[in-house]
Amino acid sequence: MTGRIMVHQAVHDSVVIDARGASNADDKREQRRRHDRHRYRDSKLAYVLILPAMVLLGIFVIWPAIYATFLSFQDWSFYKPPVFVGLKNYADVLADPLFLDAIVRGFIFVLLTVPPMLVLAFFFASLVVSVARRFAGVLKVSIYVPTIVSTVITSIIFVLIYDYSGGLLNWFLAQFGVAPTAWIGDPAWALVAIAVPAIWLGMGLTSLIMVAAMIDVPIEYYEAASMEGANWRQKTVYITLPQMKNVLLYLLVTGFVVAIQQLDLPLIMTNGGPVNATMLPNLFIFTHFRNDINVGYSIAAALLLFAVLGSVSAIIFRFVNSERLVD
Amino acid sequence: MARTTELDTHRRTTRDARWWFFATGKGVAGTIYILAALFPLAWMLIAGFKSKTEVIKTPFQFFPEVWKWENYVQILADPSFLRTMAWTFFGAVLFTLLSLTVNSLAAYAFARLDFRFKRTLWVIVITTLFIPAMTILLTSFIVVSNLQMLDTLAVLVLPGAASAAMVFFIRQFYLSIPSSLEEAAMLDGCNRFTIFIRLFLPLSKPPFVVMGITAFLLYWNSYVWPILTITSPDKYVVQQYLATFRSERSTELGLLMAGSVLAAAPVIILFLIFQRQIIGNIKLAGLK
Repeated sequence: MTGRIMVHQAVHDSVVIDARGASNADDKREQRRRHDRHRYRDSKLAYVLILPAMVLLGIFVIWPAIYATFLSFQDWSFYKPPVFVGLKNYADVLADPLFLDAIVRGFIFVLLTVPPMLVLAFFFASLVVSVARRFAGVLKVSIYVPTIVSTVITSIIFVLIYDYSGGLLNWFLAQFGVAPTAWIGDPAWALVAIAVPAIWLGMGLTSLIMVAAMIDVPIEYYEAASMEGANWRQKTVYITLPQMKNVLLYLLVTGFVVAIQQLDLPLIMTNGGPVNATMLPNLFIFTHFRNDINVGYSIAAALLLFAVLGSVSAIIFRFVNSERLVD
Repeated sequence: MARTTELDTHRRTTRDARWWFFATGKGVAGTIYILAALFPLAWMLIAGFKSKTEVIKTPFQFFPEVWKWENYVQILADPSFLRTMAWTFFGAVLFTLLSLTVNSLAAYAFARLDFRFKRTLWVIVITTLFIPAMTILLTSFIVVSNLQMLDTLAVLVLPGAASAAMVFFIRQFYLSIPSSLEEAAMLDGCNRFTIFIRLFLPLSKPPFVVMGITAFLLYWNSYVWPILTITSPDKYVVQQYLATFRSERSTELGLLMAGSVLAAAPVIILFLIFQRQIIGNIKLAGLK
């Protein structure tokens, strides 16, 4: 091995010297070729190792993505050959009031889920860092359990809890004299009723990321603040929140991306109803996939919405991984 | 270790003069969080002991009048439920193993080997991270139907097996392994591949546990892709089975609850076994 390092060093040095000397173009090319041969000596093995992943990604992700882009410019259904129609599908999507309604509803859903989740998770994290370690452990495990329960099971549970006459929620509210509500049958409440299980499912990861971030805030800041006589509220406003700015921003944006793509909950709980009150963007597109023979329309809608979301995710990724993306 | 000590100091300093008041308040707040997280599941567990009309009976009743084991016995005696559970479990294990193999091989190459077009290929892999599932849902469906994969195990196992997120995660771990270890192994006569098998694989337990459970959960909890691609009831996965049960046998709620409990049990047990590794792993280094 040391031998190899020395060879590598020698090649490296000679390249450097050669670059300085810059005597002969042929020489330089020869050096470079030798350098490359050394540098890429593992090429064969590397290609064998990445082949399975690349083939699977190619067939099931990259090709479908290219194909989807192609189809979005075509008038096509399963029964006839594709005809190029340019941007017509995109124009149709943008002119469709139902699609625009779904987008607006998606934003409302984001407002219903993300801010409450961040606030609840922030209080949770503040609690976890200030209690005894054993209790903190119990808290962390409990908050994460809902995250691993499937959306189907969650939907079944919450639909029954929301039941008009025999459900837990109406029974509970009746103790305070509140009249029963058809939570998922009432267009005014249905979206809120779906936001609650969404928060329940999403709290685990959000909370634990906040705990991790809060633990990383240097303890000296709090000690100094305590000496100055700061209380919990002041410490939170002047130390914790500014220190966690990046994590909060990250959670806000990932929360947005996840919430606006919510599909399973409205699909299983309400199937978009009542009167489209829970027809979120993804469900709108999914319903189109299943019912509309004009495939290009659905794909154009999906691409339009997710060109934006893909870029948002890419920006988050750069932000999280600022120095490690390409080594 | 330093972090724990800092945290302990933090804990001590936040205990103000009126610590008992805060301690009680924290106890109450913590209990509320625990209840909110676990209550729906507890309700499901208890509803599994109720007779079919009792689950959403008017007036509402939290505990069953008579605790019945019948639902659990009956659903376990149902061959279609057991077959679905076993089939999903088998698929999930297969998916997890395949996914760990494929992605860790690629991760090792991207972390440790030099090859031509490495950078380009890496950018291609990472780009796939940003393609939302919905965008390619229909074209993936067309692809698997052209490959004659509809209604087979392959359609559930293959499409998600290679994952840029997973390659990325394992690669980050491999980048952190000191190269002096590799050099020592090479001195002992290992080549690049035996280094992977004898050195990297044994060290990979922590990322493999986290990624393996993530993959298992992904498979076990998936719903939309199976309802598009699996049509024979004897090949249903467990979430599909539950959703179909709910719409077709909507009166047998006690039985549905018992089935849901049993369907949630494997992943909850898996989580409880490995919770330390999973929770310990949720950190966001470099986010400040």
